[in-house]
Amino acid sequence: MDRKKIIDEGLLEKYLLDELNISDRNLIEHALKNDKELQKKFFQLEEDFEKMAFENAIAPPQRVKNNLKISLENSKVKKLYSKPLLAAASIALVFLFSAIWMYTKWQNTNTEFKALQNQTTVLQDRLNALEENYILTNTRLKTINGPKTIPLVLYGNELIPDSRAVAYVNHGSKMVVVNAKGLPKLPKDKTYQMWSDVNGEMIDMGLLRTDEELITLKYIEKAESLNITIEPAGGNDHPTVEKLIAYVTL
Amino acid sequence: MAEDLKIKELISALSNGDKNALYTIYDTYSSALYGVIVRMCRDEDMAQDLLQETFIKIWQKIDSYDSDKGKFYTWAYRIAKNTTLNALRKPDLLIQSEDLSVYKDKALATNLPNYVELKGAIQKLEPHHQEAIALVYFRGYTHREAYIKMGVPLGTFKSYIRQALSLLRETYKRDLVLIWFCIEILA
Repeated sequence: MDRKKIIDEGLLEKYLLDELNISDRNLIEHALKNDKELQKKFFQLEEDFEKMAFENAIAPPQRVKNNLKISLENSKVKKLYSKPLLAAASIALVFLFSAIWMYTKWQNTNTEFKALQNQTTVLQDRLNALEENYILTNTRLKTINGPKTIPLVLYGNELIPDSRAVAYVNHGSKMVVVNAKGLPKLPKDKTYQMWSDVNGEMIDMGLLRTDEELITLKYIEKAESLNITIEPAGGNDHPTVEKLIAYVTL
Repeated sequence: MAEDLKIKELISALSNGDKNALYTIYDTYSSALYGVIVRMCRDEDMAQDLLQETFIKIWQKIDSYDSDKGKFYTWAYRIAKNTTLNALRKPDLLIQSEDLSVYKDKALATNLPNYVELKGAIQKLEPHHQEAIALVYFRGYTHREAYIKMGVPLGTFKSYIRQALSLLRETYKRDLVLIWFCIEILA
C-alpha cells in the first residue's frame, strides 16, 4: 500500500485509534517500518495526539491510585507472563519431554539390544553345533565312501528276523563305524553290544545305540568276525552267546 | 528526548515487575487517560473504576508493548479506549437503550458536565473540526460511526479530520516557536 493512499484514506489516524482490522494493521505496520517519511508523519500525529490529550487532562481523585496500589500490593493482580518467559518455559518443557522420550527410547533400545545379543549368542551356539555336526558327518561320509572302506551287513538271526546293521571297516585308518538303526529297539534294561572275534576270543568294541545313524566303535586288530549280542544295559564284560543276534565274517 | 529516555527506563522497570515504576507512570499519564475515559463514559465513578482497570491492564500487558510501533501514550490510550468501550457495551448499561449508538446519543443529549468541555488547541478549531476530533479521539467513535453522527459523507468527515489535525499541527508548531523565542529572550 503506497504512502499517498495511507494518508488520503486516513489509515494512520485509524491505526493510531486502533480501528483497523488485523490485516490492515499489519499492512500499516509494514509500511511504517519501511517508509521513513510515513514514520515521521505518524510520529507527528502521535505527538499532536498526546499534546491534545494532555491539554484535556483531568486529574483523577487520589483514591484511584490508592485502590490501584491496594490491588497490586495485595497480589490480587497477577502479572501476566512475558512472551520470552513463556517461550523459555515452553522450550524447557519441550526439552523435558524430549529427554524423557529419549530416555525411554534408550531404555527400550538397550533392552532390545540385550535380547538381540542373547539371540546372537544362541544362534552362534547353534551354528557351532551345526558346524561340528557337519564336520563329523562329512568325516564319517568320507570314511564310509573311502576306497579302503569295506561295508559289511550284519543280518539278524531268528531272534530278530528281518533286521540288520551295517558296519563300515577301514583297515587303513583303523576305524569302525556302525549304523544300527535297522535293529529293533530294546527295552530300557537291555542294549546291543558289538564284539570282535580274535583267535576265538570275543573282544568288546562298544555299545550300539539304535537312535543314532553312525556310531564309531573301537577298531580291533586281526578281527576275524564282527558279532552283535543283546546285553544288560551298560554293557557286559563277556558276550552272552545265547543272545547273539547277528554276525559277519571279515 | 530526555522524557522518552525516562519513559523507556520506566517501561523496562515495569517489565521487571517494579510496581513503583507503574505508580510513576500513573502519575505521568493518569490525568490524560482519565480525560479521555470520563469524556467517553460521562460517569465519574465509572470512569475512575475504568482508569484503575486500565492501569492494571498496563501492568499485566506491558510485555506486549513495542516501542518501535509507537509511543507509550498511544498504546495506553488504546487500552483505555477499548476498556471503556467494552464496559459501555455491557448489557446492563444498554437495557434502556438497547443500542450503543443510541446510548451515546442519549448521553450527549443530557446536560453535559463541565469536564466534557474540551480545552487547549482544539478549542481554536472550527466547530465542525472540533466535533470531528472530539468524536473519534475523546468519545470513542469509529470513523464510520462518527460521520453518521455528524450527518456528513464519509469523505467529508475524513477531510474534516485531516484539516483539523493539520491546523492542530500548525498551532503546536507556533507554540513551540513561541516557547523557543521566550527562552532565547530570557537567555
